[in-house]
Amino acid sequence: MNYNVLIIGSGLGGLECGALLAKRGLKVLVLEGSNQPGGCMQSFRRGGMHYDTGLHYVGGLAPGQTMHHAFAELGLLDLPWQRMDDAFDHVIIGGRHFAFHQGYEAFVKGLAKDFPHQREALQSYVQRLQNITADDMDVCAYDYLRQTFSDELLVNVVSAAAMKTELRRESLPLFNFAHTCSSYIESSWRLKGDGNLLVNKLISTIEEVGGEVKTNSKVVRLVEADGRIASIICADGQSYEAEYFISDIHPAELCHLLEGCQAVRKAFRRRMTSGENTCGMFTAQFKLKPGALRYFAHNVFVYDKPNVWTMTEDNDPVKGVMISARVPEDDSDELRQIDLLTPMPWHECKPWIETKVGRRGDDYKAFCQKKTEQCVALAEQYIPNLHEMVEQCYTSTPLTYRDYLGSPEGGAFGLRKDYRASMLTFHSVGTPFPNLLLTGQSIILPGIEGVTMTAFETCSKIIHDIARQ
Amino acid sequence: MTREEIIAEINAELAEEFEIDEATITPDAPIYQTLELDSLSLVDLIGIVQTKYGVLISKAELPTIKTFAQLYDYIEQHQK
Repeated sequence: MNYNVLIIGSGLGGLECGALLAKRGLKVLVLEGSNQPGGCMQSFRRGGMHYDTGLHYVGGLAPGQTMHHAFAELGLLDLPWQRMDDAFDHVIIGGRHFAFHQGYEAFVKGLAKDFPHQREALQSYVQRLQNITADDMDVCAYDYLRQTFSDELLVNVVSAAAMKTELRRESLPLFNFAHTCSSYIESSWRLKGDGNLLVNKLISTIEEVGGEVKTNSKVVRLVEADGRIASIICADGQSYEAEYFISDIHPAELCHLLEGCQAVRKAFRRRMTSGENTCGMFTAQFKLKPGALRYFAHNVFVYDKPNVWTMTEDNDPVKGVMISARVPEDDSDELRQIDLLTPMPWHECKPWIETKVGRRGDDYKAFCQKKTEQCVALAEQYIPNLHEMVEQCYTSTPLTYRDYLGSPEGGAFGLRKDYRASMLTFHSVGTPFPNLLLTGQSIILPGIEGVTMTAFETCSKIIHDIARQ
Repeated sequence: MTREEIIAEINAELAEEFEIDEATITPDAPIYQTLELDSLSLVDLIGIVQTKYGVLISKAELPTIKTFAQLYDYIEQHQK
């Protein structure tokens, strides 16, 4: 059977492209190499509970805000989103407590209470967040913050919740930093339920108009004919033809599938395979004892010291942690699940690079145990005696991301962007083939907002191309 | 590096990476047509120059580079 559009990879970007194009009447096939769709949005079940992989909160869903139109178009606004507390992000640095409030004015007002001498700088900061342009791909986020705020502590405070991207002072563009922060200030939301709700909603949109999502369908080769991609071949030998193809896999992985294609010159291949990957995350996911803790509708970011931008530069111990609480699904106020997250560079995984899931050895278990204890010790600045409330704990490292999600080096945010070389690190959704397009977090921006923006860009190319014909 | 060394090295590199005949690269030849560059592969040219010489061609100066001679000039002036 022939399709209008064939999508390789069922991460958020792939499924969003599938849903957007299916809603326009195109016949879509999404091929997923693993046994579960959703990529970083998928959830997994352990001990009777669902745990999320990469979904924690979403910004800008209220009418008129950044993500409202996109999620409405995708049918995702119908999901049970719950608005978070007015003070949606709490920051603790060196024992001092700060809060981010929803709404730009409230955000400034809240932080100006702690930094009255920086009120004007805060106003300038939120103005900039609301007026980000492509030119900010060439601006260093860290330099901008240090020029804007004379108080070094405030630089750390406004950056503290940006664990949703890789805070790397020598490379992070302001464009990425601002997109990571701004929509959450507009409004912040958690999903009541697991990430599979989102995944299943997108899949049902695709299937409602005759499209399909196939798992265990690993693509091994793209076949070229007359300067276009004509078909793809899967590991089981099955071949599929389509008019357009979208890659939602890592660009380096796509280049492997394009081996032998004449339209792909060495220069393109080199650029797509030589990009650096962002760091990964260590996550400790807890099932809490019944009645141990009440639900709180905000995130907490705890740092030992004001070193938010440099804490991963040396290995040990954990210096910053995000606490994310899971919305109770039984309408009680009892909190049964929380996640603790901290950035974890790939080099910390080196001793176990050759190992596979479940066979990494006792030293890996001891490493995860130690890391968990360090995360808990920091989190206890906000939740005293947390270690006594834990009934069950599951940990993941960048190795887990690599092995389950196919993310090279376990990178949590795709390919690294660099303000010093924006033209080389921000990618076009185009490829040397007019009917092969890219999407996903490595292309323009990571995160739910970034991936969604990119999916719209990818689909607009196809829609315009069809209209032109 | 001397200008001659730059010319010899970058010509060989561009011919290899863009899969064209090196003989078509002459100082006055138009760079876009010779290398068959479009907006996408133009980025690859920038990448090669940066990787090879640590020279990043800025967005503002990119339109001023139209021939290979102008590319050699740019590398020569900006190399570290």
